[in-house]
Amino acid sequence: MSDAPRDGEHPTVGTYVRVALVLTVVTALEVGVIYVRRLAPIVIPLLLAMSAAKFALVALFFMHLRYESRVLTFLFVGPLILASGLAVALMTLTGAFLVFGR
Amino acid sequence: MMSADSSGRVLHAPPSALAGVETPATVLSWLTTVDHKRIGILYGVTGFAFFLLGGLEALLIRLQLAVPNNTVVSAQAYNALFTMHGTTMIFLAIMPFNAAFFNYVVPLLIGARDVAFPRLNALSYWIFLAGGLLLNASLLAGTPPDVGWFGYANLTSRHYTPGPGVDFWLLSLQILGVSSVIAAINFIVTILNMRAPGMTMMRMPVFVWMTLVVQFLIALAFPPITVGLIFLMFDRFFGTRFYDVAAGADLHLWQHLFWIFGHPEVYILILPAFGIVSEVLPTFAKKPLFGAPVVIYSGVLIGFFGFGVWSHHMFATGLGPVADSAFSIATMLIAIPTGVKIFNWLATLWGGTIRTTTALHFAVGLVGLFTIGGLSGVIVLIGGSLFGLFAGAYYWWPKMTGRLLGERLGRVQFWVIFAGFNLAFFPQHYLGAMGMPRRIYTYPTDAGWTAGNFASTAGAFGIGVGVLLFIVNAWQSLRRGAPAPADPWDGRTLEWRTSSPPPAHDFDTIPPVYGRDSFWREKHGPRRGAPPTASHAPLHVPAPSHWPVMIALGMGIAAVGALTHVSIVVIGVLWTIWGIVRLALEHHRTHAHADQTGVLGLDHRKMAMWVFLGSECFFFGTLVATYLAYKGRSVVGPAPHEILNIPVTTVSTFDLLMSSLLMVLALAAVQRGDRRQARLWLFGTAVFGLVFLGFQAYEFTEFVHQGFTMQQNLFGSTFFVLTGLHGTHVAIGVLWLLSLWVLALRGRLGVADAVKVEIAGLYWHFVDVVWIAIFTLVYLIP
Repeated sequence: MSDAPRDGEHPTVGTYVRVALVLTVVTALEVGVIYVRRLAPIVIPLLLAMSAAKFALVALFFMHLRYESRVLTFLFVGPLILASGLAVALMTLTGAFLVFGR
Repeated sequence: MMSADSSGRVLHAPPSALAGVETPATVLSWLTTVDHKRIGILYGVTGFAFFLLGGLEALLIRLQLAVPNNTVVSAQAYNALFTMHGTTMIFLAIMPFNAAFFNYVVPLLIGARDVAFPRLNALSYWIFLAGGLLLNASLLAGTPPDVGWFGYANLTSRHYTPGPGVDFWLLSLQILGVSSVIAAINFIVTILNMRAPGMTMMRMPVFVWMTLVVQFLIALAFPPITVGLIFLMFDRFFGTRFYDVAAGADLHLWQHLFWIFGHPEVYILILPAFGIVSEVLPTFAKKPLFGAPVVIYSGVLIGFFGFGVWSHHMFATGLGPVADSAFSIATMLIAIPTGVKIFNWLATLWGGTIRTTTALHFAVGLVGLFTIGGLSGVIVLIGGSLFGLFAGAYYWWPKMTGRLLGERLGRVQFWVIFAGFNLAFFPQHYLGAMGMPRRIYTYPTDAGWTAGNFASTAGAFGIGVGVLLFIVNAWQSLRRGAPAPADPWDGRTLEWRTSSPPPAHDFDTIPPVYGRDSFWREKHGPRRGAPPTASHAPLHVPAPSHWPVMIALGMGIAAVGALTHVSIVVIGVLWTIWGIVRLALEHHRTHAHADQTGVLGLDHRKMAMWVFLGSECFFFGTLVATYLAYKGRSVVGPAPHEILNIPVTTVSTFDLLMSSLLMVLALAAVQRGDRRQARLWLFGTAVFGLVFLGFQAYEFTEFVHQGFTMQQNLFGSTFFVLTGLHGTHVAIGVLWLLSLWVLALRGRLGVADAVKVEIAGLYWHFVDVVWIAIFTLVYLIP
């Protein structure tokens, strides 16, 4: 784990605008796929993937995580992963869905 | 020579001239102090007062159980006593004792002059005091909570417990949680970013490491219980259905949320004691801690595994063999790093030049009793935490007060407490095995439990006598104790390098770090690293502030309002917001506050915001998980697909996404000094936030007109609370942005203030990513 910021660079305004465009397009795709019946069998993983991609884009570019010290990445991504794991465990234990048989 | 400015004492004297700087000991100075040492003393004294109260409750419990069919207290009073005793000892005694050591010692151990955020540190203390007083106000009101410190649903529902006791309990726990999380963020930043040059992570004393682990546990484990308490609060105050079986609720939900917090809480209580022992044993064995890196890794592993064992508190609830097995295995895994520590402590003593001080007695007592307690599961907290805390008290008392405690009386106290403790708790192993349940207020004569209970009561009074001996010892020390030199124990770590008690600024010069046990190496060698260089840089001693007290008072007023009248809630909330704004702007123009870059090259405030966002992941993760866990469980309609308006929400989602774009444009403008564009984009971001809130208000209003409310079914409860709390975050963000915009309008938001916009932006983008998740999981997934 590097202690120092990776570098002092920041995204350009152009990068910000491009990211915003991608976010807009992915949001439109998200809404679109729920109306396509042929995608019904894979719609949940598809939506989760697109949502995760949007989450990552905002975190990496708008929140500058891509350009920041790895310490900050650790402080955010570590709890994010742990919280996601706990959420899955909580849903499993309350029977919302089962990762394993009871 | 010294000079002062409006932010406090900015001292420009040669460091050697600063040793005599003293802070006045007036009441006002204590109310407004931001000195980590004074705040540590406040935590210690307040915690000890609550400890005496909790101890009194324990003695009443034991008196009632001393003989069969006893009538010292009624059954209801007994329930209230064990509820108040458990809650008090955990949240108002042991945790603040630990906080006292964190506050007083950690900055000294890492060679810092204070914590990263001294005023937030004071705020943590005053909020803690407000929470503690509110809980105990329930005694004065004659309606103490009587549902156990675990407050299992649905015993806590308005139906089964109609009085205000549970309301006192849940509101005070919420307030105490805020205090703990603020302190946790502060200490994480302090430890990571304020270490003296040369103090790498692996050179940090083990107590500092354990403090760091505990702060992460607090920051991450408190949000789930906060969410659980919010659900309880909404059930009791607004009629939601989170814990209503008739509405399809699963009562296990509370137990999960409680123990996801509750088990890490065990480590929050015990790991500081492990850290203290790891400092005391090497000092009095005159040996380095055996395998110190392994002890550190073990502490980290204990903290990590601590998040994966909560359901071992729920084995009797029918989770199923797979879950029971998984949590059993995880629980047994934790025994490995714990056992490693015990062997390392023993190896530290082995072959050492032992000085049998009182502190060493208590430390060794912990090692023995925790080993037995770890195996039996009965006597961990007192045998662990309390013995560790007394070890710390005897060890660091001279540093804190400048006086030595009486060693002879100290050893008498140790043996009295040791004997009393074993007499109190050892019979309880047998009583349990003989079938005596927990939390019964009396028992029949022919149960065969009389002798064990009488012995246990006698032991409890023995512990009480031991505590009284400590009070006598402390009183004598303060009155006429022998003066303590700077280094009374031939210590190993940096706190012993400064006077006893230390000056306001801790160290005249930032101490050199020669490796782990740096001060020992400095005195006795071998040294590693650069020789000490005297620093003549100006010292900044933080100025006192009365806003922490004011904010805590506002929170207390709001909580009292929740118990009495909504208008008082409004007053309390407005008071709190006013205090927060004033606190935030207190040093806006102070040059000394402009640059807060730490040893990692990161700004303290930015790092703190990232830690807070990590904590928020747990908060929203718990809310979303509950929504999904309850999805499809409502016994009446409507279902989500019958009522959610996806087209309208898509527009509001787009609006929020675009607000993030405006936010980064605002930051870029501030960073390049373009004030006009900074004003424009900040205002634009706030307006987009307001538009989002408008959409949410429209959605909620439409739902209510259609008869869909948070009381309607589980879907209504989870939907409104999840999206409502997100909306509250958006509203806070809008207020924050507008305050920055006002600063920009007044020309008070220059390039040097970019970090203030950056941390507001981080918060705003986080609110955005949370909505990205909510939009998919709540609105789009069928």
